[in-house]
Amino acid sequence: MTLDTLSNTFAALADPTRRAILARLAQGATSVTELADPFDMSMPAISKHLKVLERAGLIERGRDAQRRPCRLVAAPLREVVGYAEGYRQFWEQSLDKLDDYVQKLQSKGRKHVRKSKQQR
Amino acid sequence: MSARASSSADREVFITRIINAPRNLVFDAWVDSKHADKWMGPTGYTTVTQSMEVRPGGQWRFTMSGPQGVFPSRVTYIEVQKPARLVYRHGADKDDDPDAFDVTVTFEDLGDKTHITMHSVFPTAAARDKVVKEFKAIEGGYQTLERLEQQVLSRR
Repeated sequence: MTLDTLSNTFAALADPTRRAILARLAQGATSVTELADPFDMSMPAISKHLKVLERAGLIERGRDAQRRPCRLVAAPLREVVGYAEGYRQFWEQSLDKLDDYVQKLQSKGRKHVRKSKQQR
Repeated sequence: MSARASSSADREVFITRIINAPRNLVFDAWVDSKHADKWMGPTGYTTVTQSMEVRPGGQWRFTMSGPQGVFPSRVTYIEVQKPARLVYRHGADKDDDPDAFDVTVTFEDLGDKTHITMHSVFPTAAARDKVVKEFKAIEGGYQTLERLEQQVLSRR
């Protein structure tokens, strides 16, 4: 996935109302009216949020002209979770290894550490 | 460096960790390649140092190899305060890597433990900047998202 796509997804997710809409859609497809119901917001405002989500590829709208039900699209979410976690994971895992390693060093006192095991 | 980091509040990532060893030892593990090769990189990655010179302006050049490929990397040290603080730029092993990010690592002495704080600032120039800019906004909703994702996946 390109960074541009990722940026669109992030921008769409940065808003709490849009995240709440997605959380609702995770329970199943629904009409715009039903979606708007729990929010203290005008229909045009909700429609605007839905447009942003649709552009980011996070939701799909049905063809049914009357209801135009909204449905969550999971793929971009997966990629966002993957990216945001990527940098943290890099360091969380490195620091896990650091912690193990320095504890091993310590238990061997001032002696040289032997290559107890190869990592590969 | 300072120019890039001047308005960085929205481009920061903080990572902290308590390491179960005294500060001198933990600091050494960062600045001695025979140690650093043993822990640097995510699970499944092997790090091999080509050269390491820990002083302001000095470089650590190393290659990380793992499941997703081989990554020639370069750390250029900006500030070295043994055993309390390291400031460096971390990127690919090429000059003026636009995606390189600036990292400040502090080592706080807790007796037989060390509190590490890593503060990373991502570059303004790259497209990635926009992504990381949103990182903080996302973080609040992150757990929600993760649950959401699991929910969605389990419905398939």
